[in-house]
Amino acid sequence: MRLALAVVSLVVLIGSGVVVYDQFHSRWEANQKAYFNQALEQARTPAERASLEGRVPKIEQTIVNGFGETRIDRCQSCHIAVDDPRFTSAKQPLRTHPYSVEMGDVFRNGRWERRHKFTDFGCTSCHDGQGRGLETADAHGEDPFWPDPMLGYTMQAGWSKDTAAHLRGKEFMQANCAQCHAEKGFAGTPLVARGRDLFFKTGCYGCHRIDGLSSGTLGPDLSQVGKERKLDYLWGHIVDPRVYTPASIMPRFKLSNEDRKALVIFLKSRRGGNLAQSSIESFRLKATAATPIPEGGAAAHAGPALTGAAHGEQLINDLACLSCHKLGERDGGISPDLSYEGLVRDHDWLIDHFRNPRSRIPDSNMPAFALPEADFEDMATYLLSRTAPPAPMSPAETFKNLCARCHGEKGDGDGINAIYLDPAPRDLTKAEFINSKPQARFLASLTLGVPGTSMPPWGKALDGERIQTLLDYVGQACVHEPRRQLKPRKVPEINPVPMSAESVGRGETIFLARCTGCHGRKADGRGPNSLDIAPRPRNLRNSAFINSTPDRRLFESVMYGVEGTAMPSWMDYGLSQSDVGDILNYIRSLNENRK
Amino acid sequence: MSNDTNSIWKTLVDLPANVWKSIFRNPLPTSDRGRAATSFTNFFLHIQPVRVSRHALRPTYTLGLGLISFFLFVILTVTGILLMFYYVPSSTQAYDRMLDLRSSVAFGVILRNMHRWAAHAMVATVFLHMCRVFFTGAYKAPREFNWNIGVALFLLTLFASFTGYLLPWDQLAFWAITVGTSIAGYAPLVGKELRFLLLGDANVGQEALLRFYVLHVVVLPAALSLLVAVHFWRIRKDGGLARPEPVEQVLQPPQSPAAVEPLPEPVASLAVDAAPVRRFTIQGLVRGPFVKVGKLEDDTVFSWPTLLIAELFVLLLTIAGVLAVSWFFNAPLEQPVNVMHPPNPAKAPWYFLGLQEQVSYSAFWGGIGIPGIELILLLLVPYFDRGKQGVGRWFARQRILANSVFLLFVIVNIVLILIGTFFRGANWQFVSPF
Repeated sequence: MRLALAVVSLVVLIGSGVVVYDQFHSRWEANQKAYFNQALEQARTPAERASLEGRVPKIEQTIVNGFGETRIDRCQSCHIAVDDPRFTSAKQPLRTHPYSVEMGDVFRNGRWERRHKFTDFGCTSCHDGQGRGLETADAHGEDPFWPDPMLGYTMQAGWSKDTAAHLRGKEFMQANCAQCHAEKGFAGTPLVARGRDLFFKTGCYGCHRIDGLSSGTLGPDLSQVGKERKLDYLWGHIVDPRVYTPASIMPRFKLSNEDRKALVIFLKSRRGGNLAQSSIESFRLKATAATPIPEGGAAAHAGPALTGAAHGEQLINDLACLSCHKLGERDGGISPDLSYEGLVRDHDWLIDHFRNPRSRIPDSNMPAFALPEADFEDMATYLLSRTAPPAPMSPAETFKNLCARCHGEKGDGDGINAIYLDPAPRDLTKAEFINSKPQARFLASLTLGVPGTSMPPWGKALDGERIQTLLDYVGQACVHEPRRQLKPRKVPEINPVPMSAESVGRGETIFLARCTGCHGRKADGRGPNSLDIAPRPRNLRNSAFINSTPDRRLFESVMYGVEGTAMPSWMDYGLSQSDVGDILNYIRSLNENRK
Repeated sequence: MSNDTNSIWKTLVDLPANVWKSIFRNPLPTSDRGRAATSFTNFFLHIQPVRVSRHALRPTYTLGLGLISFFLFVILTVTGILLMFYYVPSSTQAYDRMLDLRSSVAFGVILRNMHRWAAHAMVATVFLHMCRVFFTGAYKAPREFNWNIGVALFLLTLFASFTGYLLPWDQLAFWAITVGTSIAGYAPLVGKELRFLLLGDANVGQEALLRFYVLHVVVLPAALSLLVAVHFWRIRKDGGLARPEPVEQVLQPPQSPAAVEPLPEPVASLAVDAAPVRRFTIQGLVRGPFVKVGKLEDDTVFSWPTLLIAELFVLLLTIAGVLAVSWFFNAPLEQPVNVMHPPNPAKAPWYFLGLQEQVSYSAFWGGIGIPGIELILLLLVPYFDRGKQGVGRWFARQRILANSVFLLFVIVNIVLILIGTFFRGANWQFVSPF
């Protein structure tokens, strides 16, 4: 018993001893002692020697009140030689902080004078990290939950290696320079300026708001994204938004790594107001809308003012239309080709689309850019001036040039911009669907376009013969089954149930009971099952589409189902013709009086 | 004059001895009797009985679980008070304070680790202590009410641990409390109000953080301390730890009829006190059925030193264990609270995962109905189980029915907790941890 007691007592003593020893023996003390010894070797005067011999390790800290919240920076407890010019070639942590003329340091009377004195600025106001930490891992912000790891230096454990490889370098500190040097053209922060430029050139401003710069509402407000996110998130989200947010509608923009770096640094500098602003200035920025003409736009260019189509062309080139759309040689790879826009669209369509893209294509992911009406007119004038029809070529080449961007090279509905289109491009290889519809329907879609979707009326750009050969080509190259003879179906041409409040009410009841699982309670095609279904359920509030679709087609889709999709034949589930008529009246009533 | 000088001088000379004597009434005792007298007059020692049965001292009987629970509570109080110097119950500051504790506060990491692991350990040891008491039949008369106090202490321990879970204000805390409090919301009639009372809001937020903090650092520790005191007091008054009836007593008729019957007069008890060397008169003055005078079997030893050394051993063992675990394993901390991103699955603290598992089958029955019935049964068990057989022995043959039922209850709950902890993935789907 007594032996056991002695053993346990020893364990407790040793345990407590280890804890206490660990607390009071830190690396910073060893570092300081090493510094004293090395400085002693280089000391010249006896007074200097005496003062060094008298020094004992102690926590060195700078309390900085001038820059935002009070900072307590104890970095110099380890990095004790930052201001000792004799240690320029020593190993870290005992190296002198470099002197730099660009940062305003001056060489005067044989010694350097810093522009940014550590006593005034501390360390973390430029470097980030955790000023109060006394262990390397703590101080550098290696803790995966520490919000500000040292910029360009510390990669936290959770960051992917691929991402982290791009995030090293002192240029990332420009994000912090911009907290005080906030003016647009400051020479010391070229990457912030470049990122700001890209923010407009790439069209980010169309979706994202940044106080004082832009007023987009489609994506999250980025005014303080630099405070909320770390470098790895910013980089990763630009490279592929769907990694972090699986349902993100943000496109993957084609950017070089240099451009990504500049954007990341610019975004990191957005901290919801900076130190150069007074709080009332920050509030004013927040309260006022962004300037109607984005930076870097045509209006900002020096030189002779352009008008009409030339101005429109410049706007389209400068204001990021082509970071998504294709026009001639330039291609953003995200949105439809504008090369034949002058043929397939008219003036009203374009102006409506500029003012609000969702007025013509209700599920478009294109943001509404807040430009002056005159600019819209010029842009429309320019696009309408491009009336050269597609050059004559074989049907296969026509398909590749005009259709494959959305419908895919194989016609399987998986073109390069297909994921950004809603409704998605039709899968032309799905024989069950293609072979269940009459050729006339496809001819109509091809010639007249499909209202409410991105499918343009190719009949305005191609003559009837080319359309027919193109359709034949699709039949042969995409659909790998021979066409069947269609059975005639008994479907009324016009809804036999007259439109009335009672009919709409009955239709709504049936709709809520039978249809909402896929089409959603709002009939917007976003029911709980919709994500598991390809093609996605139709948005029945897409008025442009619904109002241009004849009763017969809607009737047939509900009564007999749609082959090759998840839409079942509701006749088999007991819906009578009058039930379907009620549903149709309900759907029509949702889209009444809307374009 | 000189007399006065002398008396002042004498007073001064005697001063240290007088102060010493005023603090410690007895000199350091050298004999058993002296030690007994000292424990009787010392505040910290008088909580111990003067003599204690050998049976109660056997480590294999108690496993020291009650003591370990108490010492963990002491460790939690000490480390908790130290942590209070750094903690701010504010939804904007709490998490930053956690990060500071991890990096820039002296002893911050080890304090937080000790507090966290000791809290988990206390939940476990209190439960195991309850199992020990059941399996040894120690809750039987006259210890029924102490069993009930024990059940209350178990609930308070759970609640104290649960309220502490929120304080780091990280994702783990936030969603565990969201899940835990919504289980409370399933209670009939008062559920919604109870939840609102607990959270001070419709959702977990600043008000909930403040309420949980006050409960955690003031209300629950005070209630726990009070009940622990009563629990200990009742152990003494119920005649020490439960032990088997001494065989001799069954064979021999009682030496004095007065000792078996309730004592009518204090004087009578004085009269029956046959062994004044080992019994103390003050016991004889106590009225009521609890006094064991004359019934004490001889198989006892002096508490000082035997019991004290055993207690010291358990204390040191507990501290050593908590220190070792805290040195090698860091208390978890996750991302700061993000109300928009619940983890999937959001899990309650491990000791409530059995409940959460039950709730996944039926919200009311799993969260309120079955636990409520279990609790009522636990409280009533000593009043139903009136047999006097099999007290003071593990898994006594005579108690096979009661022990089997309780074992089933324990196993079911542990299995549910294991399923909830290891076998449930996203959307509470069954997953294999292997």
